[in-house]
Amino acid sequence: MASSVFEEYETIDLFASWDSKRQPVVQLNNLKKWFPVSQQSLLFSKVVANIKAVDGVQLFVNKGETLGLVGESGCGKSTTARVTVKLEEPTEGSVYFKGVDIFQPMKKEEELVIKRQLQMVFQDPYSSLNPRKMVLDIIKEPYDIHFPDMLYEEKESRVLEILAKVGLEDYHALRYPHEFSGGQRQRIGIARALAIHPEVVLLDEPVSALDVSVQAQILNLLHDLQKELNLTFMFIAHDLSVIKHVSDRVAVMYLGKIMELSPTGELFRKTAHPYTVSLLSAIPRPDPRIKMDRILLEGDVPSPIDPPPGCPFNPRCWKAQEICSKKTPTLDEIRPGHYCACFFPEI
Amino acid sequence: MNEKRPLLEIQDIYTQFFTESGVVEALDGVSFDVTAGEPVGIVGESGCGKTVTGHSILRILPKNGKTVKGKIIYKGINLLDLAHNQMRSIRGKEIAMIFQDPMTSLNPIFRVDDQMTEVISLHRKVNKKEALGIAIEMLESVGISDAEKRIHDYPHQFSGGMRQRILIARALALQPSLLIADEPTTALDVTIQAQVLEIIKEMQKKLGLAMMLITHNLGVVAEITKRVHIFYGGRVVESGPTEDVFINPQHPYTRALFDSIPSLEKDKTRLDTIPGNVPRLINPPKGCRFHPRCKYATEICSRERPEDVWLGPKRRVACHHYEELDLDVDEETMRERVKIKEEV
Repeated sequence: MASSVFEEYETIDLFASWDSKRQPVVQLNNLKKWFPVSQQSLLFSKVVANIKAVDGVQLFVNKGETLGLVGESGCGKSTTARVTVKLEEPTEGSVYFKGVDIFQPMKKEEELVIKRQLQMVFQDPYSSLNPRKMVLDIIKEPYDIHFPDMLYEEKESRVLEILAKVGLEDYHALRYPHEFSGGQRQRIGIARALAIHPEVVLLDEPVSALDVSVQAQILNLLHDLQKELNLTFMFIAHDLSVIKHVSDRVAVMYLGKIMELSPTGELFRKTAHPYTVSLLSAIPRPDPRIKMDRILLEGDVPSPIDPPPGCPFNPRCWKAQEICSKKTPTLDEIRPGHYCACFFPEI
Repeated sequence: MNEKRPLLEIQDIYTQFFTESGVVEALDGVSFDVTAGEPVGIVGESGCGKTVTGHSILRILPKNGKTVKGKIIYKGINLLDLAHNQMRSIRGKEIAMIFQDPMTSLNPIFRVDDQMTEVISLHRKVNKKEALGIAIEMLESVGISDAEKRIHDYPHQFSGGMRQRILIARALALQPSLLIADEPTTALDVTIQAQVLEIIKEMQKKLGLAMMLITHNLGVVAEITKRVHIFYGGRVVESGPTEDVFINPQHPYTRALFDSIPSLEKDKTRLDTIPGNVPRLINPPKGCRFHPRCKYATEICSRERPEDVWLGPKRRVACHHYEELDLDVDEETMRERVKIKEEV
């Protein structure tokens, strides 16, 4: 097992049938998460519509890689992440972690084992840490939950060890979150997620609240930790240059669906989906010499309550034809490892 | 007004905030100017004083803030000497500002037409009907379709990108000479940002507007501005023509800032970082404010504030060691720079 550190505490082996060489660590199958919108009448409330935050996501993450998940606000990236770590129940579809369906009925202990190995780092380093707790207690909490039998001294020494790994000092353990800067807080959030040696870490916009000079420090830290601890990352961001920097493969989301999934290099060189093309052309480059032929999209992202029929991108797409508003394109493999959901992909 | 004089001259201003924990030296001797019709970028990280600069010009600082020294000369008048009611005729009419957050800059309980015509009829001698006509015309020019109908909607009925367009339309309805845009696209998604940037560019050209674009996004600056001022710790560390500053940065901070952003064009596994954090401006570092994070820093940097060194008529840098920077530049970049110099 990957986390030999905790072998003495681990009693259940859930993942006996999992083959790390052949099977992905995380697999999302036709995942849907709809949030009901209800209207209150005199006595009863009735569901009048659904916000289709995630609407049929098909995705897999291989061991040791970084999968970048990119999209604009409201496209369902964060909801996908929250379902993947079992913070939300899916409306439809399933999530397999190491070959085990995490939403099947299971014992409490089994669920804890799964949750221990799926951890998350949140976007806002200001609101994701409890202001009334010392850093020591914040990072110790995962041990309290997952290893209640562990001795206090051991927990403490493990906290100091992980603090050193994320570049903080011993004395920081006795301070409160407000005493830290944004970048340091994000380090604490990362330490908390890594404390119990997860297999997969979901990073939900971990650097978007930080200044660029601090952002670079955190990106480097994540890179080093991934190498050292053999972690698998699912990295969510809206900034394509960050995504390009960190990811091995990239998934582009739009209105709850995956539009394109491809190895990073190929996505940027041989972009297939019109939405990805327009997304790439929209980024202002920090170099006055680069003159872009920009594709300006018309209008806004449609509401996920009432997404357009067919391909969700068709009302804004310059390549759209009749079929696009009638049939929903499937995510097909157009080149080895390169998937695209479009009837008329760029070749 | 003298034709050759810049529209706005900021001369050595010091803005401070008086808080319980001490005096925050938010602006510490900032000088620059804006020529009529010119888009200028103000770039820096959070807390570097870029927004405070905008607020100091319009004198909309919070109660505990004050510009204690220096001059802000607009069309030959020092704005800091004006009485409150005189200042009111400058705000909006002469110098307009659009703020970062389009969600909170519009009053949610008034319809857009009220909020636009109020501003227009306050500053321009028009009646209500004419004001409404101007408002509709402005909304159309920033690309809001069906403006005649939609102007009667409430702000919550518009998306973020549309609201930012409404704010741009409202700011430009008074035909100001200078527009201060404070992070106008930061809250927007990239595809919407592209739309709004296009409108800003177009309006700036069409109206011959001088613009101060405050942002932390180097890409946005590269796209829109002709000249740029890099802020750090309440001071201007480097300024010059955008192209020159971006390709040939002279200040260690500017150089490090460019190296620390992930690029879409280059592949790199590790980013160069700037150690430490942005300084707090209560008890800021002595001497050069960047010296605790600077790899070129020597003893003099912690002692003496670097003077502005003028490298050209509009090109300056405030660093004791700027000449040493060129020694570290790799050949390829050097060659490229020579090429650019020849082109210029």
